[in-house]
Amino acid sequence: MSTAIAARAARSPRGMVLSAVLILAALAIPLFANGYALEVLSEAWFYVLLCLGLNIVVGFAGLLDLGYAAFFAVGAYTAGLVTLKLGLSFWFSLPLAVIAASIAGVIIGGPTLRLRSDYLAIVTLGFGEMVRIAVRNLAVTGGASGLVGISRPYLFGYKLDTIGSYYYIFLALALLAVAASHRLENSRIGRAWKYVRSDEDAARAMGINHAAVKLSAYMLGAIFASIGGCFYAAKMTAIAPETFNFNQSLLILLGVVLGGRGKIPGVMLGAIVVVVAPEVFRDIGSMRMLVFALSLLLIMLLRPAGIWPERWRWG
Amino acid sequence: MSLTAIFLQQLANGLILGSFYALVALGYSMVYGVIKLLNFAHGDLYMVGAFAGFGSLALFSGWLGAGWAGIVPSILLSMLAVGLLGVLIDRVAYRPLRDAPKLSVLITALAVSMVLENTVLAATGGQFTAFSTDLGFAGIDLGLVHVTYTQMVLVGTSVVLMVVLELFVSRTRYGRAMRAIAIDQDACRLMGIDVNRTIALTFFIGSALAAASGVLAGVYYGSINFFMGFLIGLKAFTAAVIGGIGNIPGAMLGGLLLGLLEAFGTQIPGIGGQWKDVFVFAFLILFLVFRPTGLLGKPEVERM
Amino acid sequence: MTIGTTKRVVRTGGVAAAVVALAMGLGVAGTMPAQAATIQIGAQVPTSGSEAPYGIDMLNAIRMAADQINAKGGVLGDKISIVPGDSACDPQAAVNAASKLVSQGVTGVVGGYCSGATLPTLKIYGDAHVPFVITASNSTALIGANPGNAFMVNSTGYDQVKTAVDLFKAKGIKTIAIINEGDAYSADLARLTRAAWEKMGDKVVDYEVVSKGEQDFSAVVTKIRSAKPDAVFWTAYYADGALLLKQLRQGGYSGMIALGDGSNSSKLFQLAGAAANGVFCFSNPTANFLPSAKTFTADYRKQFHQAPGPYSTLSYDGMMLMAHAIQVAGSTDKAKIIAALKSTNGFKGVAGPITFTPKNTLARSNFVVLQGAGGKWTLYTGPGAPKMP
Repeated sequence: MSTAIAARAARSPRGMVLSAVLILAALAIPLFANGYALEVLSEAWFYVLLCLGLNIVVGFAGLLDLGYAAFFAVGAYTAGLVTLKLGLSFWFSLPLAVIAASIAGVIIGGPTLRLRSDYLAIVTLGFGEMVRIAVRNLAVTGGASGLVGISRPYLFGYKLDTIGSYYYIFLALALLAVAASHRLENSRIGRAWKYVRSDEDAARAMGINHAAVKLSAYMLGAIFASIGGCFYAAKMTAIAPETFNFNQSLLILLGVVLGGRGKIPGVMLGAIVVVVAPEVFRDIGSMRMLVFALSLLLIMLLRPAGIWPERWRWG
Repeated sequence: MSLTAIFLQQLANGLILGSFYALVALGYSMVYGVIKLLNFAHGDLYMVGAFAGFGSLALFSGWLGAGWAGIVPSILLSMLAVGLLGVLIDRVAYRPLRDAPKLSVLITALAVSMVLENTVLAATGGQFTAFSTDLGFAGIDLGLVHVTYTQMVLVGTSVVLMVVLELFVSRTRYGRAMRAIAIDQDACRLMGIDVNRTIALTFFIGSALAAASGVLAGVYYGSINFFMGFLIGLKAFTAAVIGGIGNIPGAMLGGLLLGLLEAFGTQIPGIGGQWKDVFVFAFLILFLVFRPTGLLGKPEVERM
Repeated sequence: MTIGTTKRVVRTGGVAAAVVALAMGLGVAGTMPAQAATIQIGAQVPTSGSEAPYGIDMLNAIRMAADQINAKGGVLGDKISIVPGDSACDPQAAVNAASKLVSQGVTGVVGGYCSGATLPTLKIYGDAHVPFVITASNSTALIGANPGNAFMVNSTGYDQVKTAVDLFKAKGIKTIAIINEGDAYSADLARLTRAAWEKMGDKVVDYEVVSKGEQDFSAVVTKIRSAKPDAVFWTAYYADGALLLKQLRQGGYSGMIALGDGSNSSKLFQLAGAAANGVFCFSNPTANFLPSAKTFTADYRKQFHQAPGPYSTLSYDGMMLMAHAIQVAGSTDKAKIIAALKSTNGFKGVAGPITFTPKNTLARSNFVVLQGAGGKWTLYTGPGAPKMP
């Protein structure tokens, strides 16, 4: 959350100071937090990355995606296969995952460009399920047991083996995602996304190639998730198909919409809430998901456009 | 088994499974048709319906027995209860968001789904409940295939409900109001249609249909649990889209087609059950690419 | 101030309060001090999501064991309190649950259901040197990933495959059909069985995967019937298994049906009715023939008003074993407890004696074959039954 405020504040000189302070605070957390808090916060930073990736598709380009976990799976399985089956260093999996995710983005983006939004929902959902079932059925991906024993990578000769190191990795990825999202939002392509989002016909009339614009949103969103997936595989050392099920896609979408799609700090806040809230309710025991669901309902009723919405009016 | 027998048996399997998909898809499609909301909680209403039916049957079986004499009133009671629950959900969760962005309502629907699921989880301790009835395995032999009376009732019920629903929507004043709301809510208000009441009615009917299929599923399969609505909700959504979402005969057709696709998909040697769902979704995607409005849907120009 | 702005202020205030409450909640939850004068034992089981029924079966049994120990005065004079950690059968959720248990300072952890979710937690408990008794994760991947503090009281998949193949052979079975649910546990068992069966030169005529939570197996049943196997082997859990075997019988299949140990529950009879009679099930020796199991089942029914689940007995044994190890260690020093667990020799569990191999797995398979008869499980002692411990 601290960086969320930081991101917004970064636009003014006073904000620069504030954001620097908040980032420093985030950096200092491992000095006093226990393992559990670090575990949860690492997951939170990880979801910030995933949610910002999905935000490109859902928030900036206005396309619904119910199968985003598939791209996350592409990254995780690329890392798993590169280290286990090819015996290469983990770091080779990053460029390969980017390539694989771009291809997957084109495969899913291609046929869906003409579809109306509700059909887009089911097609992306179907794509997500197909990827999950395929990795479950194929022998090379380890079947239902998944891939086990993915080795932990080295960075500058230092083995990334503690939760503290993954906290910093995911924090760095989250900050990179924020920076990238800002650059994209204010770029030529970012404006094109928003134009297509608000009026596709007008955008086409103005000479915007709507197919290329939508496709680029899918590809970039996919790349965010696949990079996250690589590091997820390295952190967990074991991946299984069930992690990438429909509920995972929903959870990421939840973060984006709950926080305020299209609004970078809002999305970050949403990502943090979907990770932290179920943990806060952990002590309630088996009722925790019920309490989470009820609070979610309440938030959506009070703030339909998200907790921290974009100023643009969604219709 | 001869090839013909296999074919006929899978045809029967597909039609029965498809009837369930169709019944759930009807409600899905109807709500969507009127207020353009993908009601994710629909599958969970099916589940709640099954539990309500289970409770009512426990109540009735004392003096009506656990045969059809007890089951039919249980279905009706469950339809009434879940229908009202649907109206309540609409009033509390969806109505305040009538003018809100589409995606927010979608997430609200997800939240409602989670609330229903976890409430039943808490109430039942997550246990699978045996739904026992006195229905036997009696039926008639149609040549190579044995069809039980339960199966016939099942398919018959979904056909009858579909016809009634179609007549209701196309012939009655309420049905006309629903169709009018689907086109332009503001104009309806100006013309003196009580929009909120009509939408509540839509939710009542849609939810009652889900409840009916839930109780029938409990009766037919003999086991119910808090998670049973998830998969069928997903499949019914697919069926509704194949048929052309918002279209009542389309939902029926889509449901049956999906059931048949799954039954015959399972039979394919070498591919079989494990790739069945991939097969279904691939078919769906190809279908939508070449016929984006579904089987019976009308072409529509959408503006986000 | 207009009504509109009042509303906005209230809303914004409400949301801000909710967010702050969340953030503070995490802080409080994360740093809550351990309760004094009790020995805290973590129960890592899924209590939410689709696996919750099995997880709750396990949690109940663990709680019951703790209650019984406490009724007799506890361990080393202290009461045991159970701290549930919801793994949701998901690796990330399990990791969070595990690190939370560690942060709360639990003395040991019992449970671990879903191999995929248990696997990444091994390192967390390993780094914290927390003793971990695994009661329901039998993937062979766990053995290699064990840092030395984890102990598996459930037999591995290999033992079950051997029991199954022996039974099929003794029954003169030539062709089998194998069906699993696509999760790590049932797919592993199916794969190992297929490999063992085909290695002997026999045929697997149908190999199916069904989706979890599916209720209609009619298409699969028709396919199985057209493949004409001598036996059908369902490697997954009782809830869906009950539906499958009911539909198999209704669909006219009359051959042998065998079920994996995840289907060992008397709830199978409630759900499948008469169709479960004559069905074989591979299992840890939990049924009504051991005096200790009889008391266990009766106690469980009394406390929870339902029959125990497939992993209830092992979870109960796991908790009892943990308490025993603490007693032997003479303190709550974790290294001493791990040493005590390691030296376990013939600990009398409800599900059979427990002794560990150097790799912390069960020294001998305790699988038995059960057969459904008259609405309950009976011990099968005919041809092909394993020798009793």
